[in-house]
Amino acid sequence: MIEREVLELDVLFVGAGPASLAGAVHLQRLLRESGQDASVGVLEKASEVGAHSLSGAIVDPRALRELFPDKNDQDFPFEAEVSEEHLYYLTETRKIPFPFIPPSMNHHGCYVASLGKLTRWLGEACEKDGVDIFCGFAGTELLYDGDQVIGVRTGDRGIDKKGVQKQHFEPGADIHAKVVVLGEGTRGSLTKKLLHRHNLMDERNPQVWAVGVKELWQMPAGIVQPGYVAHTMGFPLGHDIFGGAFLYGMKNDIWNLGLVVGLDYKNPGVDSHHELQNLKTHPWIRSLIEGGKMVAYGAKSLPEGGWYSIPKLSISGAMLIGDSAGFMNGQRLKGIHLAMKSGMLAAETISKALAENNFTESKLGDYEDRMKSSWIRDELWKVRNFHQGFDHGLFGGLTNAGIGLLTGGRGWGFKNRLTSEPGHLQLEKGLKKDRYKDLKFDGTYLFDKVTDVYHSATAHEEDQVPHLHVNEPDICITKCAEEYDNPCKNFCPANVFEMVPDGENQRLQINFSNCVHCKTCDIMDPYQIIDWVPPEGGDGPTWINL
Amino acid sequence: MDILVVLEDNRGSLHRMSKEAIAGAQKMGGSVSALAIGSNADALSGKLSGVDLTEVITVNHDLVSSYNADGYSEVVKQVIESESPKTVVIGHSYQTRDFIPRVSAKLDIPFIPDIISLEDGFVKQVLNAKLNASVTTSADQVILSFQSAMFSEEAMASGSCSSRSFDVNLDSSMVRAESEEPFQEAAGSVDLESAELLVSIGRGIEKEENIQMAFDLAKVLGAEVSASRPVVDSGWVEPFRQIGSSGQTVSPKLYFSLGISGAIQHVVGMKGSKNILAINKDPDAPIFEIADYAVVGDLLDIIPKLIEALQTEKDL
Repeated sequence: MIEREVLELDVLFVGAGPASLAGAVHLQRLLRESGQDASVGVLEKASEVGAHSLSGAIVDPRALRELFPDKNDQDFPFEAEVSEEHLYYLTETRKIPFPFIPPSMNHHGCYVASLGKLTRWLGEACEKDGVDIFCGFAGTELLYDGDQVIGVRTGDRGIDKKGVQKQHFEPGADIHAKVVVLGEGTRGSLTKKLLHRHNLMDERNPQVWAVGVKELWQMPAGIVQPGYVAHTMGFPLGHDIFGGAFLYGMKNDIWNLGLVVGLDYKNPGVDSHHELQNLKTHPWIRSLIEGGKMVAYGAKSLPEGGWYSIPKLSISGAMLIGDSAGFMNGQRLKGIHLAMKSGMLAAETISKALAENNFTESKLGDYEDRMKSSWIRDELWKVRNFHQGFDHGLFGGLTNAGIGLLTGGRGWGFKNRLTSEPGHLQLEKGLKKDRYKDLKFDGTYLFDKVTDVYHSATAHEEDQVPHLHVNEPDICITKCAEEYDNPCKNFCPANVFEMVPDGENQRLQINFSNCVHCKTCDIMDPYQIIDWVPPEGGDGPTWINL
Repeated sequence: MDILVVLEDNRGSLHRMSKEAIAGAQKMGGSVSALAIGSNADALSGKLSGVDLTEVITVNHDLVSSYNADGYSEVVKQVIESESPKTVVIGHSYQTRDFIPRVSAKLDIPFIPDIISLEDGFVKQVLNAKLNASVTTSADQVILSFQSAMFSEEAMASGSCSSRSFDVNLDSSMVRAESEEPFQEAAGSVDLESAELLVSIGRGIEKEENIQMAFDLAKVLGAEVSASRPVVDSGWVEPFRQIGSSGQTVSPKLYFSLGISGAIQHVVGMKGSKNILAINKDPDAPIFEIADYAVVGDLLDIIPKLIEALQTEKDL
């Protein structure tokens, strides 16, 4: 029996993203105002706050303004206010401007930002306010008393590849808390367990996911206009794959170039990283990055499902916030403000619960009521059927979105709720098509995957049990190889999965140290046998301004 | 005193990185002294008698007879306070990482670690060696540590030096840690960082059975064997042999690369090699971009013949 340290807290947020950090700041304020004394902590698996934070991002400042009413927008760590915006349809060689930008895709008054910078800034605000942030510790287990969550266990350190304790073995600690708030981001490993154990997705649409990949390009001075925003549809994804590209101008001559690919495509050969490389073969994109140098790479999955995919948000002792709860507006391509607001609403409920010393499901359920009467609901309700329309391709999706503008979000103008199948079920057997025959990595503008991965500065202790658990590895070499030709090779944007020759046969090689923690494998694996669990705390990407 | 080099005892002999630190300090110019600590201090001092230094300061005290961070940091602090060197130089070893930050904190002197070049300020690698940062300081004193193989130990200028014993004030309240025998890796006899010749194997070796071939080649060459990550990951060789961003950084005189494609993660660990000879089947393999000698071919055909040829040569 391993002896573990026990830490007693009142409130524990898991994952130092915008949702948790905003929630913690807001909670400290509410506690002060109501004269309560409570200990608030945030657990973060990255070595520092922000190192695992990645987003587009264009930020709607609404939640920040509410959280810091005494500050001006200029005080927030943004790159630049959106100064110019474009929406283009790309063919292989041309770009065609949309005749107008629909109001729902208008980013006027919003800001180009780096989520990494924003979370670092929020992290400092938290620490000034007396919140303890524990970096380098991943939550790996939920602790229960009956069906009530009572805390989180952090991961052990110092276990070798074979699962044997090394000399410097250090058991994880048990952090007890009256309320555990899961703000783990997309497809959190504790969130996944919680949703499953308590059936929190019952009567909801399955979550619909996308993966975003991006590169930062350092350009010569004078080319990048900070606040410049362009979104594109069409090339390279075509009409059958949901998604599009984004290009944002940041400070210090940096282009932020990325691509979002819906994880509900049919061709198992689709590779988001390769699509991003293909994007850069477009003459217009290529001219924009001419003379520049790629300096950073990263990837993240995002919940696109919207209103009908939001799980039940509270159970006894635990709540879900941010991306973990699917708070993202797929049509506006924005979730940071929703994530922050959800954390703040959770904080309001927690403050009341602490005052009454009542952490039951019904008390914490107050958070869901608050959410439903907040602007989160107003915003997500209007676009509740946005992604589902794209099940019918790009033009179907645009038509549905357009009609939705007139009918307040009804699908195809009349249906209140469109449903979707989980994306991994959309993969078609035997359909693999090579979309990248003509793609040549030149090492200057187009990069192979491992080179891009290098620029994510990801690092993992090599001598540990791979944190990607493949539960039935036989499926990989038999059924999956036959039916889908191992799509893990393609959907992972970090080259974690490889099929390598093994005598006459093949075997699955898991290069877990390449992992950038996007969770796409856990989401997109057609047999759902990949389980992403946190590696040793502190491992993973080292992102600075993604 | 301009520069003080803090030496590291490697079981009675001088740590290679200490010699490199001396070479570096000599190159920086000014008067250079060295500090040897522990029961082997006099022995270390003796080994430097033919080296161009002002003096070697020796400290031998019961509480620092062998390495412990509390004692060493206190000793170095007292020597710096007494001798006021402008610059303190040390090799960037594990021991340095353990105690030098404490010296820096005690004296409020900046510590710039793991420097790779002195060409443009103090240059260190950041972000997984993707960028170089040039660091400068406005402080009057600074502590620097040099990355392994930044200078060559052979570049140590010869000359003469005297030796002086230094009395330190240490009492047991300052030394709370009790040190045990230095920990030695199971296969500690292999020191890749100081190997002059490396035979390095990549995925092109194909099968575990073929690994022996690389060891045979290493044997006739008098080389050590290293590997890229996939080979280590497959469990074909021990983890300490791994070169690259999650392994070791090496700069041998000859890096004999067998079936390594040359992904950037590997290249950052060996690009400092003086000569790179690469064998790979794929003419487009990125390793050829940095190789001095490139052989496009199947290593499984080439290596046995090469071993045979080298063996014949040797026997003659």
